[in-house]
Amino acid sequence: MYIFFLMKLLIAEDEISLQQSIVTYLEKDGNVCEWASNYEEAIYKVSLYDYDVIILDVNLVTGSGLEVLKQLKKEKKKAGVIIISANNSLSDKLEGLDLGADDYITKPFHLAELNSRIKAVLRRGKFGGDENIVFNEIRVDTGAKSAYIQDKPMTLTRKEYDLLLFFITNKNRVLSKEIIAEHLWGDNSDLADNFDFIYVHINNLRKKLTSEGAKYIKTAYGSGYKFTEE
Amino acid sequence: MAKKNIKIPLLRKASKSFLWASMLLMVLSTIALFFYVRWLLEQEVEEELFSAEARIESALMAGQHPSSLAPIIEIKEVNELKTPFTKDTVIYDPSQDEMELFRELSTYKRINNKSYKISVRVLVVETNQILWAIILSYIVIIFLVFVFQFYLNKSSNKKIWNPFFHNLEQMKKFSLLSKEPIQLLDSEILEFSELNKEIALLTGKVRDDYENLKQYTEDVSHELQTPLAIIQAKIENIINDQTVTEVQFNQLASIQKDIQRLTQLNKRLALLTKLENLQFTHRENIDITDLVAQIIANFNEISTISLTFGKTNDIIATMDPYLAEILCNNIISNAIKHSAHKKPINIEAKDMVLSVSNFGLKPITNPQHLFTRFYRETKEIKSTGLGLAIVKKICDLYGYNISYTYINEHHCFSIDFGTTKPARE
Repeated sequence: MYIFFLMKLLIAEDEISLQQSIVTYLEKDGNVCEWASNYEEAIYKVSLYDYDVIILDVNLVTGSGLEVLKQLKKEKKKAGVIIISANNSLSDKLEGLDLGADDYITKPFHLAELNSRIKAVLRRGKFGGDENIVFNEIRVDTGAKSAYIQDKPMTLTRKEYDLLLFFITNKNRVLSKEIIAEHLWGDNSDLADNFDFIYVHINNLRKKLTSEGAKYIKTAYGSGYKFTEE
Repeated sequence: MAKKNIKIPLLRKASKSFLWASMLLMVLSTIALFFYVRWLLEQEVEEELFSAEARIESALMAGQHPSSLAPIIEIKEVNELKTPFTKDTVIYDPSQDEMELFRELSTYKRINNKSYKISVRVLVVETNQILWAIILSYIVIIFLVFVFQFYLNKSSNKKIWNPFFHNLEQMKKFSLLSKEPIQLLDSEILEFSELNKEIALLTGKVRDDYENLKQYTEDVSHELQTPLAIIQAKIENIINDQTVTEVQFNQLASIQKDIQRLTQLNKRLALLTKLENLQFTHRENIDITDLVAQIIANFNEISTISLTFGKTNDIIATMDPYLAEILCNNIISNAIKHSAHKKPINIEAKDMVLSVSNFGLKPITNPQHLFTRFYRETKEIKSTGLGLAIVKKICDLYGYNISYTYINEHHCFSIDFGTTKPARE
């Protein structure tokens, strides 16, 4: 039934700066992160160790990340795989998913977004997508896509539910409105040149939480948000 | 004086000048021939008269007296000698019962102590007839030669120029999008062969440049993504280090926004390149009205501008589903971005036409540039400047007609899904 356990992750990315930034972000939760900076290293680590989730760049400097994925499937490893690519083409995406990848993310991406995708992959892998995420008195049932506070069902709109899940998966982290908007609306988030619409959704969710005494959505630096107990 | 800019086909121009030159030649040569033959005939007549006169004279000298044969020969004894003369004279010819023109030579000679006037005449009618016969046959012959030449020229010209015209057609059909090199007909004519070589060289170069440019765009947009990812990841880590000030946070958030813009720009450039490369070959029947309704529902969550959708019927289009979504999304988001005073946007589906109209204070100043990349009417609205260029490219790909009108203070874009062209091979 519980919740946030520690994950063991492999980040296979040949751009060291990006690789270390991902590691830094993901280790905040206490997860164990290992990394591979080229194809051989990735193949070596994949065959030697077991990981919960592997983040795999398609273009590893000495070989293709998709080959690593094939190797992984050949060895029948249970790890969830998220492919990172600089190529936004649909065929690449489909090829990756056909080979058994669980998700696909295009550069550039927000670390918070990557984090929430990792959690989703993990939920699907470990619990068949049917998991209850608990944060103190809040429980999110990802199978039924519903949330409970002190076991009372909350009436949330679809966006409010997405927002709550995004907040909880990225708890204790500062999320700017840009990140939240992009998570909720993708490419269309540039449409509103001010983020009034974000306020509306966040305020509604915040009201629904605080009415039950759950004051976790904090404002950070005036214009950002942080979901935290403190 | 301004020359009229009327273009004449090459062969007609060549035939025309041939025609005029031949006509002029015909007229001039006929005139020349006329005078020359007339002069020749006159000479001939004179000679004949003089030789007849000489023969009569020698006969008289020999003591014979040739009898007169009026009006051809007349010999009269006269008292005094006068200067000889030639003249034209009209004499009644009883055999023909009409007046006839004669050429006459009259000489006065003293032979055997007697003075004679010898007149010799020749009927001119005959020489005139000969003259006209010659001129006429000349005209007929030269005309026939000319007609023959004209058609011969025309057909041989056609044959000679055929590779040229064929290649001209090929060049007209030349498209940067097709991968095939231009197919030129070779010719045995040196200049055409050289022209072909140059055309092949030029089109090859143009195509290479175009390919390079496309490849370059694709590479740049691809290569930019990793550094962008690094910047974005680092910013997120900085924000979470809890050591930034509020001012710094706002600046970092603003950088995030700019990164997003760059990302969008990149994505759209890559999409445009893919559209130009005709990489979307998948087609299925898409319910455009259904798609629009979904997109409107999405936009209603983001935007406070109200979107009204009126449909009289469903529009079904056969196209790539991904492109269909981008097409509808871009055309509606464009209206949302540019709707002045946040006035409502009207979307309408009627027959095969989807029209989107938004309020605007004044018409677009340069409507011809609307679909040009990076054309922005104002700098106020932050956009990639590629949304409508993509819309146009997608419409072009499927042959849909897109039009812009400004009616009743509304900008209106209409896409006609009814005008299609067949899928490219």
